[in-house]
Amino acid sequence: MTADAPVAPTAPPALGSPEWGGFDPARTRGRGLRDLRRSFMTAARLGWQTEANWTDPILFFIYSVAKPLSTTLIFVVMIEVIGGASTREFRGFVVVGTALWAFVIAGIAGLAWAVLDDRERYRMLKYVVVSPSDFLTVLLGRGVARIAVGGMGAAITLSVGVLALGVPLDAGRIDWPLLLPVMLGGLVTIVAVGILLAAVCIQTRQESWSYPEAAAGALFLVTGAVFPLSVLPAPVQVVGWLTPLTWWIEGVRLAVFPAGPSGIGGTGSAFAAFTGRVRPEPHEIVVALLGTGVLVTLAAIVGFRVSLHRAKDRGLLDQTTGS
Amino acid sequence: MSGNPYVHRPTASPQAAAEWTQRQILMTNLRTVAGRAYPRVRGLAREKSWLFFEILLPFLTTSAFVFVYRALQAPPEYVGFVVLGGAMTAFWLNVIWMMASQLWWEKSQGNLELYFAAPMDIVAVLLGMAVGGMVMSSSRAAVVLVVATVVYGVTFAVDQWLLLLAVFFLTLTALYGLGMVLASLFLMWGREAYHLTQFLQEPVYFVSGLNFPVGRLGMLGALAIALLPLAVGLDAMRQLAFADAAYPVGTPPPEVEALILVVMTVVFLSLARWMLRTLERLARREGRLTIRWQ
Amino acid sequence: MSATAPLAIETHALRRVYRAKPNDVVALDGIDLEVAPGEFFGLLGPNGAGKTTLIKILTTLLLPTTGEARIFGFDVVHQTKQIRRIMNMVAGGEQSGYGILEVREQLWMFSQFYGLGSRDGWRRVDELIDAVGLDEQRRQKVSTLSTGQRQKMNFARGLLNDPWIFFLDEPTLGLDVSAARAVRELILSWKAAVPGRTVLLTSHYMAEVDELCERIAIVDHGRVLAIGSPAELKHRVQRESIFRLELDRLDGGTASLARLPGVVAASAAASDEGNGQGDRQSVSVNLVLEDDAALGGVVGALGGLGAQILALRKSEPTLEDVFVELVGRGFDDAPDASRDETPPQGRAANPQPRREDEPAEEELV
Repeated sequence: MTADAPVAPTAPPALGSPEWGGFDPARTRGRGLRDLRRSFMTAARLGWQTEANWTDPILFFIYSVAKPLSTTLIFVVMIEVIGGASTREFRGFVVVGTALWAFVIAGIAGLAWAVLDDRERYRMLKYVVVSPSDFLTVLLGRGVARIAVGGMGAAITLSVGVLALGVPLDAGRIDWPLLLPVMLGGLVTIVAVGILLAAVCIQTRQESWSYPEAAAGALFLVTGAVFPLSVLPAPVQVVGWLTPLTWWIEGVRLAVFPAGPSGIGGTGSAFAAFTGRVRPEPHEIVVALLGTGVLVTLAAIVGFRVSLHRAKDRGLLDQTTGS
Repeated sequence: MSGNPYVHRPTASPQAAAEWTQRQILMTNLRTVAGRAYPRVRGLAREKSWLFFEILLPFLTTSAFVFVYRALQAPPEYVGFVVLGGAMTAFWLNVIWMMASQLWWEKSQGNLELYFAAPMDIVAVLLGMAVGGMVMSSSRAAVVLVVATVVYGVTFAVDQWLLLLAVFFLTLTALYGLGMVLASLFLMWGREAYHLTQFLQEPVYFVSGLNFPVGRLGMLGALAIALLPLAVGLDAMRQLAFADAAYPVGTPPPEVEALILVVMTVVFLSLARWMLRTLERLARREGRLTIRWQ
Repeated sequence: MSATAPLAIETHALRRVYRAKPNDVVALDGIDLEVAPGEFFGLLGPNGAGKTTLIKILTTLLLPTTGEARIFGFDVVHQTKQIRRIMNMVAGGEQSGYGILEVREQLWMFSQFYGLGSRDGWRRVDELIDAVGLDEQRRQKVSTLSTGQRQKMNFARGLLNDPWIFFLDEPTLGLDVSAARAVRELILSWKAAVPGRTVLLTSHYMAEVDELCERIAIVDHGRVLAIGSPAELKHRVQRESIFRLELDRLDGGTASLARLPGVVAASAAASDEGNGQGDRQSVSVNLVLEDDAALGGVVGALGGLGAQILALRKSEPTLEDVFVELVGRGFDDAPDASRDETPPQGRAANPQPRREDEPAEEELV
C-alpha cells in the first residue's frame, strides 16, 4: 500500500452485532464533579457572552458604571440636600453600603433572570432542565458572570467614592483577616438569595423581571446598607439581625473603615440595648453571618427543589406567560 | 346571525366588506384598546405574586428611603417627597418594562405579524398596552401612596387640586407616550433593548430626582425637566402637593411644568405615531416583522 | 360574483429581493399568478422556494421589490387596510397569543382587533370554539393547549372576521392524522359556507394539497414552474402508459416482454402476493408502454408464453412524481431549512451562489 492510498472509513458496528456490545449503563451515571464543573463553566461562558461581556463597552457602562453609580449618587444627593454636621461621615457609610449593594442586585438578578430569559426569551428552559447537567449548577454558572459585573460595579463605586466624594479609605488599615471570610460568606449568601428568587421566578409570569430588584430594594430596609438600623423600630432591627446580608455589610464596613459608624449598633440601637455595646465584635459578625447564611442557603436549596418539582408537576417549564 | 358558525356577518362582496365607515374604524380602534388592555388586567387576577413583589416590596423600598431621611433628621416634607417618588416609580417601571420592550417581545412571540395583519391601527394596540399597564401600576402606586402616607404620617398641603390632578394625568400621558416611542426604538434595536431597559432604571431615578428635589441637580436637573416626563411631573406634583414646604428653587412653577407636560404629550404621541408608521414601512420593506426565535 | 369581478389574487412579475451579506437573496423571481374568487389554490414547493415570502406579500406584511400584487382588486402596497379587513391567515406551528389567558379570552381579544362589539365578540368566540371542537378547552389556559388544540384555536382566530380570503401556510404542520383531518374538514366547511371564499394553501403534504386544492402552482427558486389542476399536472408528466401485471409465471423473464413492439421498458417488481411462503406463487412486472394500444400485443404474447394474468393495474402518477419531475428533487432532498420565513433561502441575485442560511436575528433588527 502506498502512502497515498485512500483509507476506507470504518463502519460503526451494527446494532445487535457482537461488536456493538449493547447499551452501557455506565453512561447514565455521569462523571460526578467533572460533569458539574463542565456544566458550570459552560453556563458561565454563556452568561458572560450574553449578558455581562466587559469587552462590550455598552454593557460595561450600563451594568458596571451607570447603574451602581446612579444608586450611590441618589443617596449622596439626599444627604447633601439635608446637609448637617454628620454629612461627611454618613456619606462614607452610604457609599460603602450602596457599593456592596451592586453585588447584591447583580447576584440576585443574575440567577432569577437566567430563569426568565431561558423560559420566555430563548425558550430553552425545558431543554436545560432535561439535559444531564444539573439545573442548579447551570443557573449558578449563568449568575456568576453577573456577580462579576456587580463586583466591578462595587469597585468602581468605591473608587469614585474615595476619589471624588471624599470617602476616607486607608488601604493600610484594612482588616484582611476579617474582610476575606466575610466577603466569602456574603457572596455565598447573595447566591442563596438569588436561588430563592430564581425559585420564585420559575413559578411566576413573564412580568417578573422587576422582582429581583424589588426584593433587593426591600432588603435595603433591614440590612443597614444605607442607614443605621437604630432608626428603625426595635422589632424591625431584630429582623435585620436575622438577615445574613446585614452581617456581611457590617463586617465589610468594619474591615475597610474600622473607625466608621456601625449599621447594627450605635446609640439607641436595639443591639446596644441588648448587649450593652455600641457595635458587634468581628468574631460575632463572622459567627452571625455563618449561622444566618447557612440557614438561608439551606432554605434556598430546598425552596429551589420544591419549586422545580412544582413546575414539573404543573407543566410550567415551557410556558410563556406574557400579557 | 345565520346559525352557521362559518358565517357571522355576511357581506355582499369582498369590496363591500373592505370599505369601512369612519365610525367603524374609530370603534375598531377603541375596541382594540380594550382588547389589548384585557390580558394585562386579567393577568393581575390570574397570578397573585405581584401583590407581594409589586406592592409590598416596593413599599419597603420606599420605606428605606424614608428612613434615610429620618436618619438625617430631615424636615417632614422630605418624607412626603420620597413617598410621592415611590408611587410614581410604579408607572416608570411599567413604561420601561411593559411598554418599551413589549413590541420586541411581541415579535419574538409571533404576535406582531398578527397585529400588523389585522385592520386596526397599531397605535391602538400600544394604547391598549398602556391602559392595561396603567391599571396595574395605579394599584401599586395607590397602595404605596396611601399606606406610606398613613404609616409615616405624611401631611399634604394642596392649594390647587385641579392643577395637581391635571399634572398627574398629563404626567401619565407623557410617560406612556414616551413608552410608545421607546417601543418602536426598542423593536428596531432588538436584543440590545433589554440592556437599555436596565439603563433606564437607576440613572433615570437619579436624574429625575425620585427621592430629592430635582432642582438640586442644577443643569442636569434642568435637562431632566426638559426631557423626562417623570422628572417634570414629579417636580410639579411635589410643588403642588406640598405647597407650604420650603421647596428649593431652581425649577419652573407648576403651571409652566404642566405646559411642558402638554408639549411632551403631544410630541411623544405624534412621534410614536410617526415612528410606528415608519417602522411598519421599514419592516415591510426589509422583512423584519416576522422573524421569530423558533 | 360577476364575470368582471376582480380576481381574488393577481400578481404580475412579482419579485422580492432581500438584502443580505455576502449576496442579495432573490426570494421571488417574477411570479405571475391568477386565482379566481372561490378557488382553493395550492402552492407547492421545497423549503426556500418562496412560498412564505409570497404569502407575506399577499397578506401585506412584506413589500414586493418590483411587480404588482392585488387581492380582490386591492393593491398590497397601498391598500393594506382594505386587504386586512377581508383576509386572515393561519400558519402551522403558530405560538402567538398570551399564555396567561384562557382560550376564550384570547379569541375575544383578537375579535376586538377586528372590530366586533364586546358582547358580539364573546358570542362569536363561543360559536367558533364549538365549531372547531374546542368546547372542553374553552376555559383552559392557552399555554396548556396541545399542538392540535392550539392550531384549532388559531383557526378560530382566523375565522373571527369572516374573511373572504384565507391564507394558510403549512396549517397542518406537526399535527397528528386525526387533528390534520379535522383541520382539513374545517377549512372545507368554512369555504363551502359562502360562495366566493378563497383559500391559498401552502403545504408539504402532497396528499393534502391533492385532496384540497382545485389548482396548484409548483414553485421553486422563486419561480412558478407549473400551474394547473392536480389532474392536469399529473397528466403532464405521464408521457407513457404504465401498467403493473401479476402473472403466475414468466418463462424467459422480463427481457422477453421488453422486446415486444410498443414496450418501452419491462422490469420485475416486488410482488404484492406471498412469495412461496405457502401462498400462491406469482411474478410482478412493471411495464412502460408507448401507449395503451400496445397492451393488446403484450397480453397476446403472454398467452403464447403460457403465462396467466392474475391482475392488471394501470399506474397513475402522484403529485410527488410531478414535483420531482419539475423541481428535480423530492421534498426530502430539499435544502434543510426552516419554513421560509423572511428572508428566505432563494437564489443569490448577483452574483449567483445560493445562500441557504438565514441571517441571524441581530442582523435583521
